Amino acid sequence: MSNAITISVVRPKTSLLDKPLSKGKGEVSLSSFALLFSELVQYCQNRVYTVPELQTKLAEMGQDVGSKVIDLFFVRDRSWKRETKLIHMLFFIKTTLWKSLFGREADKLERANDDEATYYIIEDEPLVNKYISVPKDKGSLNCAVFVAGIIEAVLNGCGFACKVTAHWHKGTTYMVKFEDHVISRDKQLGDQKSM
Amino acid sequence: MSRQGARLDAKKVNSELFTLTYGTLVSQLLKDYENVDEVNKQLERMGYNIGIRLIEDFLARTGSGRCYDFKDTAEKIQAGFRIFLGVSPTISNWGPGGDEFSLIFESNPLTEFVELPDHCLNLKYCNILAGVLRGACEMVQMEVTSWFVQDQLKGDNVTELRVKFIKRLEDAIPAGED
Amino acid sequence: MTVHNFYMFDRYGQLLFYAEWNRLRQSGITREEEAKLMYGMLFSIKSFVSRISPLDNTSGSREGFHCYRTSKYALHYMETPTGLKLVLNTDNVAVNVHELLKQIYSQVYVEYVVKNPLCNLSEPIKSDLFEAQLDAVVKQSHVFTSKPT
Repeated sequence: MSNAITISVVRPKTSLLDKPLSKGKGEVSLSSFALLFSELVQYCQNRVYTVPELQTKLAEMGQDVGSKVIDLFFVRDRSWKRETKLIHMLFFIKTTLWKSLFGREADKLERANDDEATYYIIEDEPLVNKYISVPKDKGSLNCAVFVAGIIEAVLNGCGFACKVTAHWHKGTTYMVKFEDHVISRDKQLGDQKSM
Repeated sequence: MSRQGARLDAKKVNSELFTLTYGTLVSQLLKDYENVDEVNKQLERMGYNIGIRLIEDFLARTGSGRCYDFKDTAEKIQAGFRIFLGVSPTISNWGPGGDEFSLIFESNPLTEFVELPDHCLNLKYCNILAGVLRGACEMVQMEVTSWFVQDQLKGDNVTELRVKFIKRLEDAIPAGED
Repeated sequence: MTVHNFYMFDRYGQLLFYAEWNRLRQSGITREEEAKLMYGMLFSIKSFVSRISPLDNTSGSREGFHCYRTSKYALHYMETPTGLKLVLNTDNVAVNVHELLKQIYSQVYVEYVVKNPLCNLSEPIKSDLFEAQLDAVVKQSHVFTSKPT
């Protein structure tokens, strides 16, 4: 008997899953996020030696976040339906996902002229870079790799295997490079539709 | 007469981005340290770093001056939670000496998607908040300490953060003066 | 109206930043010595102001000192509860300079130093962004006109 009481004290009475999913409209101050993110960057920085290592670490943490938002958004905004077409998926990221996470759509979505497997998502001023001025000795560091990690995890988690990197170009450009089988599958899908 | 510049940056972000970013930070710490007590300490230290910056933002937004007494401090801390986390904890359980109070949270964006696994029951998931308060108060010449007495993640109905006043810190005196 | 120069000190009296616009005469000592003199004067005047105050304002003593004025220029002072000290020298017809100081604090320092993770709060400010924004805010201000009158 006393045992049972102890358990009820340390364990939550209701599981997280018993609660309804929130509408996702909650907000916190941008300053809070900026300072939290800055601690995250500094923490990572203190545990690595080079800029590429730092970028990898930030991207991994972004992926962790990304893998968790997939279901959140598809359940909430798309009544469980995932996208199967590549371009629709990218568009979902540029609009719905971006708006939910960052409060506005990404500025541009483009396909590379010379490579059908490469797309660019462009953002003048990513939220995570708003207050960061990169010192000259770390010129190539772009903390938006965190965001790149989010995108990559979302795309991979939805069956669009790819690699996403962040670059200083027109603000920040996220380069999405899909694996070839994704592109060929997408073409087949398109062919079936047109038949 | 005076030309006011652009309004203070009152921008907001989605609280889920914040929640999940915090979550990934905590899980990274757990991976790196493999020791819950050390993680609690790290979270507090990060909170402290945030607090010493956040206080400037708070003062710039609110234009508030120094606190008259600890009651005043409690109200300002409450206002800070409203501004920065969008939650309004209740102030209660004042200690008899007026130097101790509790902040009671019904909800807390940090823990939105969190359940503590069995091996982390000693984790003070929100310990970053204790650090924020310590850092912010230190910058306004007040030493405080705070700790969690109740935690919804551990099955309590509310989360209760106890805040205790330790001492007033003296202003620095320039070299050659006394 | 015009702005001459600007000093910013941290709570320990360290000079965090200095800038000048229409400074027509230098003090003839190093910036470091000048900053020390300035900080020492502020410290003394503040303790004098609160010691001599005929009012019971124990909690308000920090806000006690706002400016001094000579026949040619005025020194305006603002201190935050965190002990940050901002000083702006202007000509002596400038009005509402305190608003400008507040603006520098909230829109330049807080935005571009406090929120920049790569700026260490206890070191002199070396951010280009801070410098440019400070310059812009001062020049846009009604207090500032390019030529001293």
